[in-house]
Amino acid sequence: MPEVRIKTLPPPHGGKLVDRVVRDPQMARKLMEKCSAVYDIKPTLFKGNPVRNVYREIMSVCYGFFSPVEGSMTKAELESVLEKRRLLSGWVFPYPILFDISEEDFKKLGVGPGDWLLIRLKGEPFAILEIEEVYEIVPGDVAVRTFGTPEKNPEVVKVPFDQKHTGYNIYCSLNPIILAGKYTIINEPKLRPPFDRFWYPPKRAREEFEKRGWTTVIAHQTRNVPHTGHEALMKNAAYIGDIKPCDGIVVNAIVGAKRIGDFPDEAIVEGHEMVHLAGYIKPERHLVTFTLWDMRYGNPIESLIHAVIRQNMGISFHMFGRDHAALGEYYDIFATQILWSKGIPSFGFDAPPYAVDGGFYIRPQNIEEFWFCPKCKEFAYSANCSHKGIYSRYSGSFIRGLINEGVMPPPEIYRPEVYKVVVKWWQKFGYPFNNEKYLKEREERLEVDLPHMELPAHLKK
Amino acid sequence: MAKYLGVIIDEKRMAAIKGTPLEEKVESIFGGALRRLVIEVPDDLGQKVIDQFTKARFDARGFIEETPAAFKRAIFKRIAEMKELSAAVVEKVLAEDLDKVKEEAAKEDKELPVPDIDISDVLELQKNPVQKPA
Repeated sequence: MPEVRIKTLPPPHGGKLVDRVVRDPQMARKLMEKCSAVYDIKPTLFKGNPVRNVYREIMSVCYGFFSPVEGSMTKAELESVLEKRRLLSGWVFPYPILFDISEEDFKKLGVGPGDWLLIRLKGEPFAILEIEEVYEIVPGDVAVRTFGTPEKNPEVVKVPFDQKHTGYNIYCSLNPIILAGKYTIINEPKLRPPFDRFWYPPKRAREEFEKRGWTTVIAHQTRNVPHTGHEALMKNAAYIGDIKPCDGIVVNAIVGAKRIGDFPDEAIVEGHEMVHLAGYIKPERHLVTFTLWDMRYGNPIESLIHAVIRQNMGISFHMFGRDHAALGEYYDIFATQILWSKGIPSFGFDAPPYAVDGGFYIRPQNIEEFWFCPKCKEFAYSANCSHKGIYSRYSGSFIRGLINEGVMPPPEIYRPEVYKVVVKWWQKFGYPFNNEKYLKEREERLEVDLPHMELPAHLKK
Repeated sequence: MAKYLGVIIDEKRMAAIKGTPLEEKVESIFGGALRRLVIEVPDDLGQKVIDQFTKARFDARGFIEETPAAFKRAIFKRIAEMKELSAAVVEKVLAEDLDKVKEEAAKEDKELPVPDIDISDVLELQKNPVQKPA
């Protein structure tokens, strides 16, 4: 008889969790001695607005979210990712992870392969990059190849990417010089509130699941304050499991520079937390977490990085809805579900990502849609409810529009407690959504503070 | 494929269209929790609206969303004036009201008045979070 019980958490992607964080200050000092130059991280700007900060990628690499990736990709690795969505080791990985600097900074630093670069964040030593290779990229080319084109990827790409797409702008705005090599964090950042209580890097997440006795866990990807449709999705998707529904529902928010008009990350993580604090899902079954990543809005491509992150955290299932991590109409709205049900050959997947070499243990739960149906008197699943003309479909954009017009969303859309979390951060920032002011201020504040650490004498010059 | 533009109808807007043919066209959504009027527009006109505002987009339902509140106000004003739900309403706003809408939208992007509601219950709940920092 085949075993139907799921008794263990899935292994990390690539077999082993990356942990490149030095917690011993003496060791950190020794490593700094080997560095030959210092570089202060600068945010990636598009039309003067921050769209990315490489510190978030360094955090996600070093704490194991992106295992088995250990640093900024070499040229061969970058080509492999863009061509096949695979690392050179054969493991699936969707996005270029790059440490980019300007030609001017590169000349000033005077570093090359074999050198170690000390990376500073908020004026303090943060991480080391062991430079293995230096090469040039054409940012626009990387951007196009990252997201695909209607000609090359006709299965799911509907129109060419352009400057209305935040993820495309991120890659277009990269500096042309790439320093490739492994990252090591040598001065562990302290997460700022409210993010500190949601910080569950893969190792801690796995420990937490084991403490709670969870072996079946389902992930909910979010970049939104949860409406009642999201809540219905979480609760119903979690009926998958083995001989009973999933033990745990893990919300993993993507925290980073996002598009103007999205909710601030503070409201997103606390909004999800309010779902359990206000008793809509028991806290014993619900865990709110986040990953530092400047969202690329790459729909099927983004779903692959989600699978990497969540499998590394020990999660067994992943819910994928319509328009997953999407922006605009560049991709088919079901592109992610197409990928996870039959594959997208032009992106290197003749089969779904769990059925290819170097693929995932995590299993998809492709969900169509929940809507509010007054006749069913429930948040109905689209494959069940046929009350056309009666039900109301959810739309995050519609809800943001309501808030923008000063209309309080009714309880059929938002739990009142969740809406009040939005208002709490609205009071704090003077605005309910990301605007230019918020994005600029948060880019200075970031999600972390760094303890003071003295630079070695040779780097003070 | 047609696109749609929805305008939420609150008590004040309902009063403004009372007794007109528009009143019958008001739809209930979310089980009556909200009411709205919907204008159907051709694809190219929808795109023209999207092109005017940086945040605006078509959502998965085919609705034009995340336009400034000032734009929605202007649309409603023209609906009430013209007493119709046609693409001509949108064309009129784009032709005659756009400068004013953009001026108001620029202010909207910087500040929106915070709703005057009591949030003390959630602040109380947050005093005892289940999840603690490591």
